Formats: sequence, C-alpha cells, structure tokens
Amino acid sequence: MSEDVINLAIEDVFSSRIKKFRKLMPYKIREILLVSSLYDKYLFEEDGRLYELIRGEYQSLNLSHSPEITHVTTSSEAIELLQDVNQFDLILTTMHIEDMHVVKFAQEIKSFGIKIPIILLAYDNQERKEIANNIQASVFEQIFIWQGDYRLLIGIIKSIEDRKNIENDTKAVGVQIIILVEDDVKFYSAYLPLIYTEIFKQSQRLISEGINATHRFLRMRARPKIILCTTFEQAWDYFDKYKKNILGVISDVNFLHNGKKDSEAGIKLVQKIKNDVEDIPILLQSSQVEQKIKADELNISFVLKESPKLLHELRRFMNNHFGFGDFIFRTPDGTRVGHAANLIELEEQIEIVPDESILFHSERNHFSTWLKARTEFWLANNLRPRKVKEFKSVDELRKKLVSSIKFYIDIRQRGLITDFNKETFDPKNSFAKIGYGSLGGKARGLGFINTLISNYNIWDRFEGIEIYVPSAVVLATDIYDRFLEENDLFDFAINETNDEEIIERFMLADKFPSDVLLQLIDFLHIVKEPLAVRSSSLLEDSQFQPFAGVYETFMIPNNDKDLEERLEQLLQSIKSVYASTFLKKAKDYLKATSYRLEEEKMAVIIQKVVGTKHKNRFYPDISGVAKSYNFYPIPPQKANDGIALVALGLGKTVVEGGNTVRFCPKYPKHLIQFFSIQETLKNTQQNFYALNLEAEFTGGDIYLLEQLVESYELEVAEEDGTLSHVGSTYSPQNEAIYDGISREGMRIVTFAPILKHNLIPLPKILDTLLHYGTWGMGTQVEIEFAVNTSVPKGEPKEFAMLQMRPMVLNRESAEIDFTGIKDSNLICRSDLVLGDGIIENIFDIVYVDIHEFDRAKSRETAVEISQLNSKLVALNVPYLLIGVGRWGSLDPWLGIPVTWDQISGAAVIVEAGFEDINVDPSQGSHFFQNITSFRIGYFTVKSKDKNSFINWDWLANIEPEEKLKYARHIKLEKQIVIKISGKQNSGIILKPNVEDNF
Amino acid sequence: MSEYTKKIIAEVIAKNPSEPEFHQAVKEVTESLDLVFEKYPEYEAAKILERMVEPERTVIFRVPWMDDQGEFHINRGFRIQMNSAIGPYKGGLRFHPSVTMGILKFLAFEQVFKNSLTTLPMGGGKGGSDFNPKGKSDNEIMRFCQSFMTELYRHIGPNTDVPAGDIGVGTREIGYLFGQYKRLKSEFTGVLTGKGLNWGGSLVRPEATGYGVVYFTQEMLKTKGETIDGKSVAVSGFGNVAWGVVQKINELGGKVVTLSGPDGYIYDHDGIKGEKVNYLLKLRASNKDAVEDYAKKYGVEFFPGKKPWEVKVDVAIPSATQNEIYVEDAKTLVENGCVAVCEAANMPTTIEAYHVFKDAGILFGPAKAANAGGVATSGLEMSQDSMRLPWSSEEVDRRLHEIMVRIHNTCRTTANRFGTPGNLVDGANIAGFLKVADAMLDQGLV
Repeated sequence: MSEDVINLAIEDVFSSRIKKFRKLMPYKIREILLVSSLYDKYLFEEDGRLYELIRGEYQSLNLSHSPEITHVTTSSEAIELLQDVNQFDLILTTMHIEDMHVVKFAQEIKSFGIKIPIILLAYDNQERKEIANNIQASVFEQIFIWQGDYRLLIGIIKSIEDRKNIENDTKAVGVQIIILVEDDVKFYSAYLPLIYTEIFKQSQRLISEGINATHRFLRMRARPKIILCTTFEQAWDYFDKYKKNILGVISDVNFLHNGKKDSEAGIKLVQKIKNDVEDIPILLQSSQVEQKIKADELNISFVLKESPKLLHELRRFMNNHFGFGDFIFRTPDGTRVGHAANLIELEEQIEIVPDESILFHSERNHFSTWLKARTEFWLANNLRPRKVKEFKSVDELRKKLVSSIKFYIDIRQRGLITDFNKETFDPKNSFAKIGYGSLGGKARGLGFINTLISNYNIWDRFEGIEIYVPSAVVLATDIYDRFLEENDLFDFAINETNDEEIIERFMLADKFPSDVLLQLIDFLHIVKEPLAVRSSSLLEDSQFQPFAGVYETFMIPNNDKDLEERLEQLLQSIKSVYASTFLKKAKDYLKATSYRLEEEKMAVIIQKVVGTKHKNRFYPDISGVAKSYNFYPIPPQKANDGIALVALGLGKTVVEGGNTVRFCPKYPKHLIQFFSIQETLKNTQQNFYALNLEAEFTGGDIYLLEQLVESYELEVAEEDGTLSHVGSTYSPQNEAIYDGISREGMRIVTFAPILKHNLIPLPKILDTLLHYGTWGMGTQVEIEFAVNTSVPKGEPKEFAMLQMRPMVLNRESAEIDFTGIKDSNLICRSDLVLGDGIIENIFDIVYVDIHEFDRAKSRETAVEISQLNSKLVALNVPYLLIGVGRWGSLDPWLGIPVTWDQISGAAVIVEAGFEDINVDPSQGSHFFQNITSFRIGYFTVKSKDKNSFINWDWLANIEPEEKLKYARHIKLEKQIVIKISGKQNSGIILKPNVEDNF
Repeated sequence: MSEYTKKIIAEVIAKNPSEPEFHQAVKEVTESLDLVFEKYPEYEAAKILERMVEPERTVIFRVPWMDDQGEFHINRGFRIQMNSAIGPYKGGLRFHPSVTMGILKFLAFEQVFKNSLTTLPMGGGKGGSDFNPKGKSDNEIMRFCQSFMTELYRHIGPNTDVPAGDIGVGTREIGYLFGQYKRLKSEFTGVLTGKGLNWGGSLVRPEATGYGVVYFTQEMLKTKGETIDGKSVAVSGFGNVAWGVVQKINELGGKVVTLSGPDGYIYDHDGIKGEKVNYLLKLRASNKDAVEDYAKKYGVEFFPGKKPWEVKVDVAIPSATQNEIYVEDAKTLVENGCVAVCEAANMPTTIEAYHVFKDAGILFGPAKAANAGGVATSGLEMSQDSMRLPWSSEEVDRRLHEIMVRIHNTCRTTANRFGTPGNLVDGANIAGFLKVADAMLDQGLV
C-alpha cells in the first residue's frame, strides 16, 4: 500500500478522525420551549414525566445529553422568555395556547426575528386538517400528530437536527442519508419515531464492535441521517445535492408533485433516481396493493402501509439493503454462500467465498454500502472505486480487498484502549481492558504511549522497525475489588504481617469473578505466547511516587497444550500480583508516602512478552530503560540529552542493576565505560535472562514463579544468533576488543554493532521517544522497552514500549538555592557535583588531610583508606569520603590509587585538587558505573575555583575516632546533610546542627 | 648519598622545575648507583650521568583534531627520546589527561634501564599526549591518532624510535597509529610494537610476563640446586600475569594452589590445572573483580578477606598489585618454609617485607628483573618485524626463556661483582646502568 494511502488512513482513523467525528452534528437541540395549555401538558405526561421518559430513551439509545424542556402556558410568557433568554433551540407548541391562536403566536414570534424552528403538535387528524386549511401553516417547520408516543419527540428533535447538520456532516466524513418521502402527517408522525429508533438501535449494535465507549459514542454521531420530504421536488433536490451520500430512499407513492397531488409521484421519483444512480436501494410503501407490481417492475422493494408487520418489513429492508445486518454473500443466482457479522468475519469470508460472489458484490458496491452503514467511511471509500476491470483477475481483486480490510483493522486498533472482545482483539497490538475500574498507573502510561505513537505516526517512522505497545489486556481495579471481596481477603491481608501467609491465602482463594474468567479464557484462546503479568496499581508511576519495583511482575510460558493449565498459570500470577499489594515491601513503602493502603488498588496488565523462542528459551534481543534526564552527564552530553541502559535478553538484568551498556541517545558512540580493555571487561554483561519455556510450573508459590526466568551464558546467545547485534570479541592474544563476533575469542556485550555501526537506529528511536514522552507528559520521563530483532526475514523488527512513567526528580533539591547559605555553615561547597537529591544520616567522615598528604605516598594512603572502609562497611555505616587528587588514579602521582572495593562504603565522595599542581579532576570517572548505579554523590573541588571549597580547618579541629598516618576517621554525634542539585550540578555539605538554619 | 649524586640531583631540580616525578626518578636511580661511581670514577669523569638525565631529544607538538560534533580540539603531543646508546629508542605512548613533560621524562628515564636489563638492543624513550580517550568515540580516537602520527612520523622509524602502547594506548590505538604511519611513509615496517597478530604482532604477548617470572624463578632455584618440578606455588591475583604464571608453572611440573582477588583467596589443593586455567580468563571478565566464583565452581575453599601468603608453599609469586606482601606476610612465608619469592607484579613487596626475606636468606626476584618478560617480547616483536618472519609460540617462548636466563645471570654476576652476592635488587639496578654507560663511553661524546 502506498505511503499516501497509509497516511490518509492514519489521518482518518486517528487524529483527524476522532476530531472529525467530534465536529459532527454541530447543531444540537438542547433547550426546548413547550408552549401549551396545562391540560395539553398533562396529556403529554399521561405516561409519566415527559422529560424523564425522553432522558431514559436517550440513554438507552446511547445518545448524547437529552434536551431540557421549559414549559409555559401563554404566548406572552413564551415571547418574554424568548426575548430575554436567547437559549432555546426549538419551540413546541400545541393548538391550545391560553392567550392566542397558535398560528398567530407563530407569526408573532417570527415577527420578532426569532428564527427558532416551531413545531406544531396536533392531537388528531381533525386538528391537523384545521391547520392544513390555514394558509399560514408554513410558519411551522413541520406539523406532527401526537398519539401519545413520547418517542415522537425524539424523532422530531433528531429530524430537525439532521436537516440542519446535513451539509456539514456529509462534507466532514461523508455521513449517509436516507430520504423519507411522505406527506401524510399521521403516517410520518408514526413512522418517523419508528425509523429513528430502528436506526439508533442498528447503529448501536454495529458500532459495538467499535473500539471504546468514547469512540462508539462519537460514531453514533455518524449514523445515517433521515431527511423527511413531503414533495417530489424537495425529495429530488435533496437527492440531487447529496447523491453521493444517499444510503437509500423510502418513499410513498402518492404525494405532491408540481404543486398538486400526484398518485404516481413515487413511481416517477424512483424512475428519475434510477436513471441517475443505478444501485440505490429503494423501498416503496403504499396502502395500495397494486403498487407492488410497479415496484417489482422497477426492481425495488415494496411494503404495504397497512401491513401488521410494517416495522418488521422496514427492519428487513434496512438490514438487507442499508447494510445494517450481516453481510450476506451470494452468488448472482441468489445462492447464499457465506455471511459476516463484523469486519474480521468479512475479511475471512472474502478470502473463501467463490469468485462469482466477489464479483457480484464488488460490481454492486455492496461492500462499501455495508461499511458505510457501519460508519467505516474510510474503508468504504477505499473499496468503492475499485472497478472490477481494474484488476487482472478476481483473485487480485480479492487480495486487494483482504489487504485493505486487514490493514484497516490493524491500524484501527492502534493507540486506543478497547474493551476486550474476542472478536476484535488482535493478538498483535490490541490494548484492551476488562472491567470498568481504573487501569492503574502503569497501564495508563502504556495507554498513553499507545496513543502517542499512533497519533504522531511514530510507529512506522523508522524504516524496517515497528514501534508498538505489545498487545495486552488490563484487568481493571474493580476486578481486584471483587476478588478481595468474594474471597473475603481484604481485612485479613491488611492486618497480616507474614508475607508467606498472605501469599498462601491469596493462592488458595478460589473465587475469581466468573465473567472475567470467561474473558480470560477467550484471551488465552487468542494468545498462546508467553505472558508477562504486571502490576498496575493506582499509585504506581504517579508523578512523585515511583513505586518502581514495589509490586511484583511475573512471566509465564503460557505454552501448555492444556488451556486449563494455562489458565491456572495465569490465575496464579494474577493472584500473586494481587498479593504483592499487601506484602511487607509494599506496606513499608506506602508508610513512607502519604497514602493509606486502603487507597491503593491493583489493576493487572496481562501482556505478551516481547521476544522470540530460541529452543526452549524465550527472550527479546534487547531490553532497556531510557530516561530523559541524566544526573551524570559527561561532556559533551547535557543532562537533558538523557541516558539509556540496555542489556541482552529480558529486562531483569537492567532492573536488578546488572552490567548494562549505558549510553546517551544523542552521543551513542561515546561510551565512557569502554575506554580501555580492562574497563570494558569489568563493565560488560556476562549472562542474560530468558524465560525458560520448559521450566516446571508447580504453581501455588510466588517464588517459583520467579524462577521461570533463568540466567544463561553468552555462548547460548551466540548459538541462538542473538549475540551478533550486541556482541564484541575480546582477544587475549591481541589484548584487544573487536566489534562484532566474527573473530575468535571471548564474547562480551558492548552493543557496538548497534551503537557504532547503526545496525538498528536504537539511539535515534530512543531520542525520539524521550522527546515525545517529555513533551506529552509535560515532565521528564523514563521508558522501558524491549527490542526483538529475531524476526523472519522481510518482516519489520519490533521495538516494544513496555512502560512510560514520569521521572521522579527530587523536588526539594531543585528548589533549594545554595547561594544564600553562609559558607561558615558548610563543610564543603562545589559547583561540579554529580548526583541528585538529599543524603542524610551520615555521621562518619573518612578524609585525607591535604596538608599531610604526600603524592609520593599515595599508595600507602590508599591502603589506609581501604582499612577504614573495611571497618565501616563491616559496621554497615555509610560515610563521607574526602580526599586529595584523583580518586582511583591509575598514576599514583596524581591521586590516591584506590580500587572500588577499597571505598565501597562511601555514600558521598569529595575529590579535592592539589595545591601545588593543577591536575584534571577525575570527576569519579574511574568508578563511573558504580557511582551511577549506587547513585553516589560526587563532589569535585578544584583548587583554582573560587566558589568551591573544603573546610579543612573544621575537619582538623575534630578529634578523630581513628587516626592513621594519612587518613582519619571522624565520628560525629549529629548527622551531616548533603544536598545536591542535579539540575545545577552544584551541592553543599552542611555541618552538623545547621540543617535548619535557612 | 655521594656528593656527586647530590650535585646531579640539585642540577636536575634547578634545570627542570615543576617536574617532581622526574626529580624523584633520578633520585631513586642515582642513589642505587653510588656504589658504581665510587668504584669506577671514569663514569663521573665522562659525565655519563649528566648526559643521561638530559634527553637526547624531546619533541613537543600540536595535535589538532575534530570531534564528532565538528568542534576543534588542540592537544599537546610529546616524544622523549631519552637514550639510544644500545638501540633505537623504545618506550610506550601514553594518552591520558595527566601526561606532562615531567611524567614522561620520569617514565623515559626508567625505561632506559628497564630495556637495558632485557639484554636486547633497545634504547629508552616515552611519549604521549594529554588527550583523554575516556568517553571518546571510536572515530574521535581514530582522528586523534591519525593527527598525532601525522607529526610523530617524522621522528620515529624502525631503526630510530619504536614506540609501544601504554595507558590509553592499546591494540586499537596502535592500529590507527600504524595505519597512518604506513600511509604517510608508504612503508610497512616494525615502527610500533603491540600490533595485532595478523599485521606484525607477536605471539605469547599476554603470557610473556608470567612466563618470564617463572623462568626467572627457575634460574634462582637452580642456584640452590632445585627446580620448579614438584614445588607448590602460591600465586596472588587472577589476571593476565597470574594466568601466564599458572600455565608455565604447570608446564614445568609445579603446582599452583592459590589465586586471589580483592575479595580473598582460594585454595585448590589439586592445583589449578586443565580447564581451570582457562576459567581464569572468564573470571577476569566477570565484573565482580573477585575469585570466589572459582571456589564455587570447583568446590574448593575460599578465604574471604585474606591473602594467600598464609598457605604453606615452596614458592610465592605475587602477581596482583603493589604492596601486597607486608612484614607479617613475609614472616609467615618464611616460617612456612618458603624458599623463593619472585615479584610478577610491580613492587608487590614492601621495603620492610623485603628485608625479612633478605635476612632469612630466601631467594628474592625483584620485579624490575623478574617481570621484564613483557618488555622483552616487544624486543622480540621488533626482531620478527625486521626478519619479516613471524615465530611460532614455541619459538617466542624459547627466546623468552633464553632472555630470562641471561637477565638472571647478569643480575647475579653484577651483584657478585659489587660485593652483594645474591642481592638481585642491586644487581638489576647496576646491570641496567652499566650496559648503557659503557656503550656511551664507547661511542664518544654524543
């Protein structure tokens, strides 16, 4: 399919489509002024309160807000109201107004320049005749006879709205029109409500395969319009003007033509129409049986007005000819060869029905008619101009039809959260919901990305790669509520402190809402690939409460031959996620927030795991996270350039802080951790995680669920062919690392083929997504993703978005202005700081005194530091480390040559410059991976920098707990507080006791 | 310290202010040579030391390059051609922001004696740039290397000056430098060492230091009528050097029973043999910087936080880092009947611990001499390049063996000559100097 067509389709389906649909029916009747005697009003309300009836009917038909009705009994009141408040859209009046004749009243209103349509309701034919004989009857928009059916009001309202909106709506999306020609007031008064109700119901039913409530609601606006005409000329004018949009014509036979009753008017109209457009469905109705013969001659449908089955006949006609019913595949001789109730079935049937049936329906535009009635205008238009002659063979035509429908079904699902429905759920990229409660934070984030990548055409922006959200079903929070309630778990779980106990009770809870169970079974029928069962709680991923890793996520192989077994696995996982809401980890976490456990509710995302099956393993080639803000930017990077961490295999490596490749999407070739062979070997991923498809699933144990994800050696990845995108080779003989895995040697993961040789444009994709994410969410964001490159040849590689959440930036630190704080309150100040946030509860300082430090003795100093570190690590006491020169320097002349394990207990590190020589500060680069993964604060105090300092005298004046030759350990009674502003790259270390001084 | 050496140091400080590293190096070397100047005044007369502390030539040049964003950068390039009395200048190139004249002169000065000790025809030099390769892209590094060589090529050549790698300059950088030299000169010659195997590099490079240490140890043992065969050996560390040591000890019939990391040491009673040797490579690449995994994998004992010197062994070969044998460790080794200690790492033994060994009369192989195998292989790479004939591993190994035997003999005879028999530390210092000094005397005032 050409790019233009695709773009048009997307345009139609998404951004503009929803927008266009919103633009439909701009004219709506919201306020009605009823002018009638009290008695008349009483008559209206015989069956109950008119307003409530109408409102109830509106709701049941899924129509938008019902109109309000204001009632007055006199024309003077009415005129007063109309002049004062210009708010009414429609005036309804009866023959009986207290102070004026209704015709005069209408004329009076017109004379005030009020253009609101006035409808006259007559009670019986007698009254109507009285009016009809009155010349000025044309002051009324239309006259109806009230026979006690309140639905007439709806018919009236919709009929007026339709007439007003017709021009707009046909232009906007090509809304369809049914022309109803009838001049008998009594008949159309009865008929109009019927026909409208029928259309509403039909549309409602058809649209139920639509995507979600909003979408369905909007599509209701695109239902066919009914234009009531009373004369030949009026009918012809409408036909002529809107012939492209005419769905069909329902016509009487005897009505006004050339100003007088013409008993053949209907027949003439039909002939004229047929001469113009051959294939328009027409229903002729008459009280005269003999008209049927003429109808048959014209090859149109006929219904007898007096027929007791009038409504049934009408329904049948609309179903068969307006495409309201199933699509019935026939051969030209009328033999039924198949039927389709929805788009998916239509596509399936087109693939199998005989050639002559395809030809038959195509030539007659049946497909597009059927689709138009379903408000699928884009597809309908796309199929309509397909002349059979354009195709070399029927087969080609068939293929074209199938591919168009498939494509449409596919993109229609994108970007929207649908209600789960087995008919429409597409195992590739549907994002559906079961239940009516909240989706929870994670699912909300996913839904948002889904919309984002669809609406901004991100999904196909990179050639050969498709960006998508893996298909998922979300169990909304109401299902969690029901589960807890039905199994009586809430009180127990909220009070129980033993995790094992909670898990066991949840696992044994056997009442799962049965309607949900049925839908899960439907889901498992469709999806047979491994599943991730993920938490999506209300509070998760909210802006200031990350909750990351508080709740559980499980992966299940979902590959058992037995569906019951698969369902069992799934239920166990869901229950485990539910249980995790109440585990100690979560309770503790909540305590630290301002929320109560009662406020927390759990939705569950059941999502296809992204990846490919390799023998008995299932995993994606790449998993990772990317953040739009980097607290440790190394030039030329800036904090806003973001940062990404990627690993081979499942994301567990990344989540658990294992060795990953860290890169800035803007500068993917600048990899600080790989600057030397030794560093590379130290920082490279050694193992990867995959879902073991053959693992024994015993169930009932939350911990066993976790074990389904296993660790594998890189050799396995090489066998699977997944290493070639991300691997490099270490050759000990050459003492070199070579990109790729073509040479002999030890395999390591560097992502060189991707980052250096652009095998897939991963950095660009991440950059784009971070950009849109930040823009869309209005804050810094963090995304989780997986990439599957092990796809069959010719198919696009898959980039799956697994999560997007606002990044939690430390608000306090951003708000603090360090410049106002007196230097006398500080141990240290620096404008060259890595990290972010506030670090508290530090009581210990290990430091090297700048006055006693001897560069020639840096090795000895390192040993001393190591001793103090071991002591403090053993006591589990974090400390502030202050030293001179480059920490971890390779050259002992330039700093203290410690290794990471020798300073591993430091929570904050300060690096001071030498006084005698100017040495480039290391800025923690020797321990970059450790500093970033443990989020350690790193202060650099350059000796030449006027704004930065260390208060050495203050340090020297405190009696040390332990004094070695070069290094000291100070133990303080009060805590010191370290504040770092990641945004400004500045920080301060406060003396004890002074934290509240500003 | 003699008046002569004091004078020299004072002059060096006066002439080269703000080069504290160089001052320190000159101080250390001259102190150990007092013995020589006392005994043989001709060196002083010929002002050999004065000549030695002044580089034959220093080149400082501009290295302009462009980063991936198109921004220009200017770094400073250096080449110190310290001494070519016994062969073409030879010494590494260092790319690191800390590179200054002082540091390079210090390194070049030490290199002269190191190279001399190998008994191969290699002079001394050092070079580099204050360029920081950390966080640079491959392309940036390549552009820098090409710009660097575009100037340096005038000053080097297979018979003039043969640089090698150092901090920040590995096989990758050597490749880029070599490629640019070849392009500028249209010559494929052994102008650099540390090359890739398929374009002029030598085999046995990673193992060379370890092999050399073991050969040196064997020579030391021979003086007492013993061999490696049947000896139990404690090795610290688990990196490249330890890997080479383990292989060669096994080959010579010994048994390595320990390995260590920052986390502690493992004791493998059966010896680290067979596939366990290859596992060392994996261990090294495990980011954990720890050996505990070895114990887990092979079911042997692991002693967290301890050093292997408490194990009863015949020979100890510290192969990890500096300062890993302290007085207490030395005493334990002596008490446990250890007969030889040979330094594979740089300065792993503290001065105090060294004295414990010296006093106990244990064989002690100083790093300077024992771990010269690495430098020697650079010399062997040059030989192969000149011959246009790559040697087999066995051939390189055989040559390396010969060299280590020669180094040991030189150190031993020199120590004897200067009245400190068995003191290989003094022997190494003096032997390295003498060879260069004599050559300078022979070649006249140049």
